[in-house]
Amino acid sequence: MSRPVPTRPLLRYAELSKLVSRLNIPVHWHVKRMRNPQGPEGRLIKLRQTVTALFKYERIELNYARADEARGYAERLISEAIRHGPQCEETMEMADWWLEEKQLVHKLFKVLVPRYQSYPTSFTTMYRAPCWYFSDGYHPQLTEVEKNREVNETISMHGVVLLQKAVLELKGHPYPPMFRTHHSNPRFIQNVLLSSAKDYLKSTRSQSAKSNDTPDV
Amino acid sequence: MTLCQSLQRFGRVGRWVLPKSHHESITRSFSVSTPLLNDTLRRSAIFTAEKKRQHEAVGRINKIEVEVTSDYGNELLLMNRDISTPHDCAKHISGHLTKNAFVALVNTDSNPNQPWDMHKPLSSSCRLQFLKTTDKNPWIANNTFWRSCSFMLGAVVSKAFRDDIAVILHSFPSPNVYSGSFILDAFVGLESWNPSPEELRSFSADMVKLSGEELPFEYLSVSREIAEDMFSDNPYKRVHIGNIFENHNEVVVYRVGDHVDISRGPMMNHTGLLGRCTIASVHYLEDDQLFRFQGVALPIGHKLNHYAYGILENRAKFLNDHMIPSQTKFQPAPEYATEATKVN
Repeated sequence: MSRPVPTRPLLRYAELSKLVSRLNIPVHWHVKRMRNPQGPEGRLIKLRQTVTALFKYERIELNYARADEARGYAERLISEAIRHGPQCEETMEMADWWLEEKQLVHKLFKVLVPRYQSYPTSFTTMYRAPCWYFSDGYHPQLTEVEKNREVNETISMHGVVLLQKAVLELKGHPYPPMFRTHHSNPRFIQNVLLSSAKDYLKSTRSQSAKSNDTPDV
Repeated sequence: MTLCQSLQRFGRVGRWVLPKSHHESITRSFSVSTPLLNDTLRRSAIFTAEKKRQHEAVGRINKIEVEVTSDYGNELLLMNRDISTPHDCAKHISGHLTKNAFVALVNTDSNPNQPWDMHKPLSSSCRLQFLKTTDKNPWIANNTFWRSCSFMLGAVVSKAFRDDIAVILHSFPSPNVYSGSFILDAFVGLESWNPSPEELRSFSADMVKLSGEELPFEYLSVSREIAEDMFSDNPYKRVHIGNIFENHNEVVVYRVGDHVDISRGPMMNHTGLLGRCTIASVHYLEDDQLFRFQGVALPIGHKLNHYAYGILENRAKFLNDHMIPSQTKFQPAPEYATEATKVN
C-alpha cells in the first residue's frame, strides 16, 4: 500500500490548485477493494448512490472503502457549488449527475452552500465504526438484511471475512453528536465522594500518626 | 475460622443456603413480631386503596397552567389539578426527559424552588424545571439520589433474609453524600452476625436487580390512622409516627414495588436511575441493637474507573457515624419530618 511515485515533476501542481479547489481532507492512497461487474462505470454508479444518500440523510453507515472514496467526491461537489454557484453550467451538470434525486440539487445550492460558506475546514466527518466479523456459521447482520453473496463465497474460501465499517456525516447536521462531550464538574457525585474520601483518609492518617508518636507506657 | 464454624454461620444466615438447624432460636424480645411477607403485601394493599380513594376524592377536575422549562425549550401545558404529576408533564415533552429526570423543581409565587417528586400531583399553577445529576449544580439531585438509595436498600434488606429471620426496618438518616455512604438502620434477628463478602455481594446484586425493574417511586401523603394501620407490625415506626404527628397532620409514604416506607422525600423518578452499586459493610450498633447497612452508589451514566471506585468502596467499609439513633438529640431522626403543613 505504498504511495505511488508521481511520474511527472511536481512543478505543475501549483497552477492546478487555481483551477480545482483544494480538498480539506486527507486522501488515502491505499488501494480500495471496490470491484464491480460493470467495471469502472459500475463503480462510479455505486459512488453516486453513496453521495446521494449522504446528501439526503446527512449521516450514513457503510463499508469503509466506499465511505472513504465517496467522501472526496462529496467534498469536491460542495466546494465547486460554493465556488461557482448555480449559474455555472459545468457545476450544475456535475451536481445533476452526482445527485440522483433532483430535490437534492436544490438542497445543495439553497441549504448546504449557505451552511458551509464560512467553513474553513472540511464539510464532512468520517468515523471508523465497529467491524462486521464473519466466519463459518457466523454472519448475524447478513441474516437481517440480505444475503451478501460475495461475503458468503469469500467465507468458504478463506474461512473468515472482516468488513470494515465507517460512519460518514455532513457537518452541521441536526442529529445528536456521535460522542458525548465530557465536562468535569467538582459537584458531580463521584467527585464529591472522592474529595470527601480524601479528607477522611487524611484525617484518619494524621490521627494514627499522632497516636503512634506517643510512646506506649 | 474452622470449617464447622463457617458451616454453622452459613446455616444461620442468608436465604440462599441450607435450611436453618433446629437448635437455634432467635433470642431477642422483638422476635415475636416477626414481619412476614404478608405484612409487606398488606401495607401495599392499604397504599393502593388509599391512593385510589384520594384520586376519587379530587372530584371535579380543575385545570392548571404549568410552564415547563427544559433543554427542549419552554412549553406551556394545561394540566389537571391534584392529578397531573411532573412525570405527566415530562411525557408531553420528551421520552428521554421522562426517563432521565431525577426530580422536579416547582416554582410558585408564594413558594419558590420546591424540590418536587416526579410522581407527586401538582396542586396549583406553577413553573416547572427538571433536575438531573449532570446539571451544573446537582446538589438537590445528588441528595435525592442518596435518599432513594437508602430507600431501595430498605426494600432489598427486608426481602433478602429467610422468612424465619426477623427483619424490622428502623430508619435511614437524612442524606449526606460527604459521609461517604448511604445508610439503612434495621433490626435483624441474628446473633453476632458478621456478614461475609459473598453476602454483601448478594445485597449489591439485589440492588442492581431492583434497579433493572425500573419501578417508580410512588408518592402518597396519608393521615395518622392509615399510617398506624400500615406500620402496625413495626414497633420503631409506630413510635416515629407518634412523634411526627406531634408537629404535622400528615405523613409521606413512598412505595417501590411492594415495599412501603416513610420518608420526607423527595425521591428520584424510578429505580432504574441507580447505576453502579455496592453494599460495602454492615456494622452492629451496640446501644440501639440495630444493624447499620452502608453502601455506595453512582447514578446511571456516571462513569468512574475501577481504582477510584475501589477507594469509595474501601471508605464505605468504615462505620459511618452520621446520625446514629441513640446519639441524635431529636427522636425520631429529622428525615421523618414531612413537608405537610404544620398544625397550629
